[in-house]
Amino acid sequence: MKNVYNFSWEDLGNLAEGRPNLGGETSVAIYRLMQFTFKDVLSKELGREKTCELFVKAGLLAGREFCRNVLNPDLPFDEFIADLKAKLIDLKVGVLRVEQADMESLNFVLTVSEDLDCSGLPIFGETVCDYDEGFIAGILKEYTGKDFTAKEVDCWAIGDRTCRFEVKPVEA
Amino acid sequence: MNSTQALNAIGSCLALAMERGLGKNGLVFPVECKEAEDDTFQNSCQNLQQIFAQMNESYRFAEALANGELKTEVSRSNIFAMPLKALQASLRHLTWQTNQVADGDLSQQVDFLGEFSLSFNRMIKSLRDKKSLEQRLKTITDVLGEGVYLVDTEGRLIFANPEAERLLGYSFQEMTGEMVLHVIHKQYADGTFFPPEGTQLGTAIRTGQAYNSDDCVFACKSGRLMPVSLACRPVITGGKLEGTVIAFHDITEQKKYQESLQTINALLEKQASTDTLTGIYNRLKFSKLLAMEISRARRYQSSMAIIMFDIDKFKEINDAYGHQAGDSVLIDMARVVNANVRTTDIFARWGGEEFMVIAPSCTLDQGVQFAEMLRFRVAQTTFSVPRKVTASFGVSVFRSNDTELSLTNRADNALYRAKGNGRNRVEAEDAEAFYHQAGASRPPTS
Repeated sequence: MKNVYNFSWEDLGNLAEGRPNLGGETSVAIYRLMQFTFKDVLSKELGREKTCELFVKAGLLAGREFCRNVLNPDLPFDEFIADLKAKLIDLKVGVLRVEQADMESLNFVLTVSEDLDCSGLPIFGETVCDYDEGFIAGILKEYTGKDFTAKEVDCWAIGDRTCRFEVKPVEA
Repeated sequence: MNSTQALNAIGSCLALAMERGLGKNGLVFPVECKEAEDDTFQNSCQNLQQIFAQMNESYRFAEALANGELKTEVSRSNIFAMPLKALQASLRHLTWQTNQVADGDLSQQVDFLGEFSLSFNRMIKSLRDKKSLEQRLKTITDVLGEGVYLVDTEGRLIFANPEAERLLGYSFQEMTGEMVLHVIHKQYADGTFFPPEGTQLGTAIRTGQAYNSDDCVFACKSGRLMPVSLACRPVITGGKLEGTVIAFHDITEQKKYQESLQTINALLEKQASTDTLTGIYNRLKFSKLLAMEISRARRYQSSMAIIMFDIDKFKEINDAYGHQAGDSVLIDMARVVNANVRTTDIFARWGGEEFMVIAPSCTLDQGVQFAEMLRFRVAQTTFSVPRKVTASFGVSVFRSNDTELSLTNRADNALYRAKGNGRNRVEAEDAEAFYHQAGASRPPTS
């Protein structure tokens, strides 16, 4: 076994061939089961902080791959966001909405409602969408070629009805 | 305070709120928790007090949202405010979307907001359709080989297509808002300015009438006056005049072509009616003019004399001095006679060395006198051949039943008699009878 695994989009497999009857979709509960059990085990092995950091990193990789393979990075910004929003709805990831977009400073405020990771969770008292933070930053990095940070400021798990992310470019 | 007293106080508080609303101070929890009779009741009071506080906060938050204040914050633990927070997020997003649409981003869609989504998305579709139509119209006007201006009801420029910019040299930016007619349509083709009351085009713009013209000129930025063919049509929306479309194209080449065509036609007309050697009318033109003069004389019952004359012994001149000298004699003869006829007379070469004069308003007697004057002038002229040149003349006068042929035949017969009687003389038609009847003396002959 290799020590390191390098993700490739092809590794997601041929779902039409592999799941001719069940298809390409599964339940949100099963997705969350996997994510939260990962979090459980990893946090006990590595600590909460490291676990969150790893989730952000994984989300970043997922966002970049998603942008490369599902989105069209050649579109102008407005059309790119419209396409992203439509794709996230089609894939039942969440309802992306833009609240603010400053194209000069590249500062954005985005919300995601009916989020795959957290909507409907009990109130934990802390944000839980670490993977989403990385996912959003990864998409924007792939689109603009610049590094971004996405910080979740509102989350269902702390009593909000929508997840809100403040997205900024990383200062050089 | 026991639990019964506490419940009564809470009940009174809620009844008052339901009757009068929350008011300025909101719901005020009426029980002092520390005074509760035991710990369990005290905990319950504290929970109820917290719910009162959350309800108050939610109410204020809802009020702020109702007033469009989208930056108001509410505590995270407030369970009543959660749907309002979702609404706040949606409104913030809609605000951003509306600004995007205002800036021309028509990719916006609203999802999962019920009827509002349907309405918003329908509006976006309508705007997209309109934009698509505008783009199509713009493409059409861009490629159209016709200048197009759109002006408002006062004549101020709203739109100009690239061809209009190219034709007149004014960019859309420098003409936007200008009174178009004050800039490009202020002069006649000869450069004089229009009178203060304006032009038909100006009237058409003000009154919303259709107008077409091929006789206008537009002033180019360079100062050149460009002849244009234009069509002007009103833009009417909902029965109200919104402006006017002026479509025009340069007809400089067309005008030049028309002018050259007129010149060519005039030249051809002249060639068709002129004797090429002498420059006077030829026989074809003479026949047309004679027919016209006969009609005129018949209609107004006026007199008209015909004088036919022939150069005496012209064949001898040709034989002795050559045809070129003969031609010179013909040219000189035409010049001499032409210089002595009236402006109202018609003078033509009949053929060979024969000439014709139509003398309107002349009786036979006057015609004979006129012919005699001409004969005399000819006889007095020095021609380019070394011999005396004379001519013989026959005169006839119009009678009401005359045709061209009968009139000219009588003049020809008279000419024949002049030749027979010795040449260099004038003979009138039916001369003896005429002079006998009129009691006039025969004019002198040579």
